[in-house]
Amino acid sequence: MEYVNPEGLRLDGRRPMEMRQLRAEIGVISKADGSAVFEMGNTKVIAAVYGPREVQNRSQQLNDQALVRCEYSMANFSTGDRMRKPKGDRRSTEISLVIRQTMEACILTHLMPRSQIDIFVQVLQADGGTRSACINAATLALADAGIPMRDLVTSCSSGFLNGTPLLDLNYLEDSAGGADVTVGILPKLDKVTLLQMDAKLQMDTFENVMQLAIEGCKAVASYIREILLENTKQLESRRGI
Amino acid sequence: MKERGEAEDFVTPGEVLGKTSELKPGNGAYVSPQDNTVYASLAGIRSLTPPPPESADLRPTVEVKGHKAHGPVPEPGAIVLARVTKVMAKMASADIVCVGPKSVREKFTGIIRQQDVRATEIDKVEMHSSFRPGDIVKALVLSLGDARAYYLSTAKNELGVVSAESAAGETMVPISWTEMQCPSTGQIEQRKVAKVGA
Repeated sequence: MEYVNPEGLRLDGRRPMEMRQLRAEIGVISKADGSAVFEMGNTKVIAAVYGPREVQNRSQQLNDQALVRCEYSMANFSTGDRMRKPKGDRRSTEISLVIRQTMEACILTHLMPRSQIDIFVQVLQADGGTRSACINAATLALADAGIPMRDLVTSCSSGFLNGTPLLDLNYLEDSAGGADVTVGILPKLDKVTLLQMDAKLQMDTFENVMQLAIEGCKAVASYIREILLENTKQLESRRGI
Repeated sequence: MKERGEAEDFVTPGEVLGKTSELKPGNGAYVSPQDNTVYASLAGIRSLTPPPPESADLRPTVEVKGHKAHGPVPEPGAIVLARVTKVMAKMASADIVCVGPKSVREKFTGIIRQQDVRATEIDKVEMHSSFRPGDIVKALVLSLGDARAYYLSTAKNELGVVSAESAAGETMVPISWTEMQCPSTGQIEQRKVAKVGA
């Protein structure tokens, strides 16, 4: 199968370094302290943040900082095949831990000792790059909740197919058996908080693919900043400032 | 023109606000220890506060005011409102419902120990004569406490019970710093009463 044709177009018509369309909305759940919906192409994710609130399980309480918990789930209808998954399956647990560690690195937890911040992320529609979309949605929800953060964490994936680095893989490209690199960065501080890869890549090719993903993360960060600015303007106009 | 000004004043977490030699970080800002730079930690509008005239530090304070602040967390030194849930021989348990002027979205647990009820005659304090379950108490957060609850103190004149119901179910009127009276039955009950308007 040919994923990049000789004219340099992908299966969905994108160039190799082009991202899918991004869309985001803040404040979609009124009961949550912060919430957001994030779309990357056909991947749609909703995130809700509760807290800081009292730690529910006392044995896990941390005396000098906040406890960050994350729960990731996929809706049954989100994939091509409708399947009933148990709650604690291996992939959900792994992605929950990945999101939790990424968010823990950027939240200023020492400002809220002995409290708990819960992040719930659910995939409504999956088309590749779900964990990147989850991290972006969680970042937006945390910013909406007013949780102090070092920086906005943004995430993007990239791959390598037909001898070409590709940005922001969709489902078909992800299933093609090539390498899939997921990167999460703090764009202003220029630090990497998440790096995952499957399949094999040569080291010099990996550098190129990772650099491409980092460029994608910075593009996502610019978009997220625009969303936050637009949201603030709307709130100010409603308040009549 | 105003829109451009607004856009320039809006910051998101991680944006650089200035150097520590020029600015002091306030609410919504933090200093990175690696490079002595002040960054924003909230999404919102940046504002500068000039230093107090008598201060030796000439740096202005930079703050970021977000459109929505997260629920407050009790910290040592904060004045809180709490509802008493359980009274025991040596301590009383209370749910913190407000931290300063802000209400918490979900409760935090605090305890008032016998030695923290009042500043005088500490050995003679009777917990059952100071608080009853359901009372609303104004208290000071002493410390983060033990593993279960924050330590609260009412050992000041302006701290103590601010609202209580009598056995007849009516809100009582304070008549001294140790007594409250029911307006319908005239029954006098003992409480550690907060001094209002101080």
